[in-house]
Amino acid sequence: MNVAAFVVIAVILTAYVLLDGYDLGVAAIAPFVARNERQRLAAMQAIGPFWNGNEVCLIAGGGILFALFPRAYAASFSGFYLPFIVVLWLLMGRGISLELRDHYPNRMWRQFWDAIFFLSSALLVVFFGVALGNLIRGLPLDAQGYFLGTFAFLLNWYALLVAVFALGALALHGAAFLALRVDGELNQRAKMAVRRIWPVVLVLFVLVTVATFFTHPVGAVAVAFGVLAFAALLALRALARAPEAAIFGISSAFLALQMGAVAATLFPYLLPAFPQSAGAGLSIYDASSSPAALVSALGVSIAGLVAVAVYGTIVWRMLAGKVHVAE
Amino acid sequence: MDVVLADRLQFAFTIMFHYLFPITTMGLAPFVAWFTVRAYRTQDEERARAAAFWTKIFTINFAIGVVTGIPMEFQFGTNWAAFSAKAGAVVGQPLAMEGVYAFFLESIFLGALFYNRGRIPNKLQAVAGVMVWLGSWLSGFFIVATDAWMQHPVGYVVASDGSLQMGNLAAVLLSPFAWWQYTHVLAGALVTGGFVVAGVGAYYLLAGREEAIARRFVHLGTIVAIVFSMLVIFPTGDGNSKNVTQYQPVKLAAMEGLFESTKGAPLAIIGMPDLQNKSLIDPVFVPNILSFLAYGNFDANVKGLSAYATELWPPVELTYYAYHVMVGLGTIFVTIAAVAALLLWRKRLFQTRWMLWLMMLAMPFPYIANEAGWTTTEVGRQPWIVYGLMKTASAASPTVVTGETIFTLIGFVGMYFILGVLFIYLVLREIGIGPSGEAQVREGSVEAVS
Repeated sequence: MNVAAFVVIAVILTAYVLLDGYDLGVAAIAPFVARNERQRLAAMQAIGPFWNGNEVCLIAGGGILFALFPRAYAASFSGFYLPFIVVLWLLMGRGISLELRDHYPNRMWRQFWDAIFFLSSALLVVFFGVALGNLIRGLPLDAQGYFLGTFAFLLNWYALLVAVFALGALALHGAAFLALRVDGELNQRAKMAVRRIWPVVLVLFVLVTVATFFTHPVGAVAVAFGVLAFAALLALRALARAPEAAIFGISSAFLALQMGAVAATLFPYLLPAFPQSAGAGLSIYDASSSPAALVSALGVSIAGLVAVAVYGTIVWRMLAGKVHVAE
Repeated sequence: MDVVLADRLQFAFTIMFHYLFPITTMGLAPFVAWFTVRAYRTQDEERARAAAFWTKIFTINFAIGVVTGIPMEFQFGTNWAAFSAKAGAVVGQPLAMEGVYAFFLESIFLGALFYNRGRIPNKLQAVAGVMVWLGSWLSGFFIVATDAWMQHPVGYVVASDGSLQMGNLAAVLLSPFAWWQYTHVLAGALVTGGFVVAGVGAYYLLAGREEAIARRFVHLGTIVAIVFSMLVIFPTGDGNSKNVTQYQPVKLAAMEGLFESTKGAPLAIIGMPDLQNKSLIDPVFVPNILSFLAYGNFDANVKGLSAYATELWPPVELTYYAYHVMVGLGTIFVTIAAVAALLLWRKRLFQTRWMLWLMMLAMPFPYIANEAGWTTTEVGRQPWIVYGLMKTASAASPTVVTGETIFTLIGFVGMYFILGVLFIYLVLREIGIGPSGEAQVREGSVEAVS
């Protein structure tokens, strides 16, 4: 039961990375690929109908974590108080810039919100990357799972490397999504971005993988996920002429396999301890709700998520198709 | 400053600002759905303009509601870790359900409602309008169910480590306490929606613009306002009071400013609570009415504050004033809506300028009444965070210090000030453009058609 709960959390967070990942990725590359106002607007409209639903994966994930693992929710959110609040502010900046940008037809207004959009999205990716890196590396925790370290502890070279990798991987993902969603010159520029970012991601992938072996013991399952992720990354290059949807699909698979590797590395811990710290970390067995509460929460969450997947797919298919960029 | 007080100030500030927007989205969602579905059914241009106009207002509210709502859920973990660790297995569940069942519905279909909008809504948009309505009301339900559990905990089990575990989800979701609170909250939101739609229509009539469409707004808004300003008092307000009487009698005593237990207790219409002398200053009483409202019996004994230890009292002044502001405004709303409905029935409303002025200027007050109602509920719950089970004083995060909370509170105040200014500016701008002005502005702007 606790394992099933862990899998549900991993799945919803992976869904968040795949879905909101392309919103963040498009934001990160938009200033570089969109050459004029029409293209910037098209980039926004490419993610416009979807970003809010994508962000809900994070909100719902937080709620599900709260219900399934209340102690992990309490310890992680309060232990990393300031970074979490900053993430909230960045999420606010990202959301508000997307929503308000087109409510007032004025060039300076749009430029201002475009800048907020870019900065908050890019910083969000960096924060998420640092968080992920520290999770893999382990954290100094007390017996209750509360964080004992300092802010400076979080800014270590490994976490920063993961953050840079996350930025690269999501930029690639965003470019693949943009190519899928727009036509014209912007489409060509997005495809070029995929080709240009790819080698950077490859180098970062190798660096992060090697560094991870020195940071944390890596199990066979995680290695298998890593190998598959590497294969997906190579396929992305080898199949460069494949349909846009296939490229985006492979990029999604690459991210999902990475997340699988992370989950396999963490398991069975939600908050693993840094080797030198006193506690062993907060595992899915220490942090969970009672078995009866888990059954109840898992039942309603899984049923709801399946329903969301069904109607979400239907609505998104109806909204699919190219955003036309007026030239 | 004590860290718990700093945490409470932060929660109070962020929730009170946030709640302004869900009131509006819950109150406007049925109007958006109604105009969208009617426009799709009749293929009528004017209704389509009404739908597009209210969808825009709704979207601005929704956007600010979403961005200010995210900190609410996460504050349970950041600022109230002890509470989350103890009660998360119960309260986490309705919150998770809000995400899974309501937020996805609302946000996915809002994407469909707002994008690819032609002149006349298509079938997807008609469906989306109804789904967004459903989503916003479901979201409200799960939040109110969470709060109602904190007011009157049911369906839980105490585990061996002292934590509270979910025993029976159905009992939590179907708790009568939750349903009276939820219907009351919905009625309050619909009063707001009715007053806003009628008020905007009244503005257009007074300004001599958009007259045909403005009459629709005033007409529909007035009907919703009169129906729900009555329902907000009876049965929903009454049902809530009966629950408070039964389960939170000390809150009732604070709300009513009743210091001594009294047989045939009078209702204080006005008066100022004086904690030194344990009495109301300059009260205006209606004899025996409080006993009747609480117990349905004019001579029933109502327990006063002095029947309880002082440390179990909520902050009396704030609870008392918030409650009286809500009830006073509620009474005024019924009066305004009744006069408007009468004039509408006599077919004189659209020409009665003083009434249109009154309706336009009444718009902010339902917001105040809603906020005052929640203040009564939440401040009146003190000193408990989970009524009878956990004190607010022991609920804060053990690792977070006052300085951090003050810093982030100042950050939130700054950001929300900017959001508030932007919101008012954008909404006033949309109202200025108006339902039929929209087309010209849109064509004039740089727009890629998707």
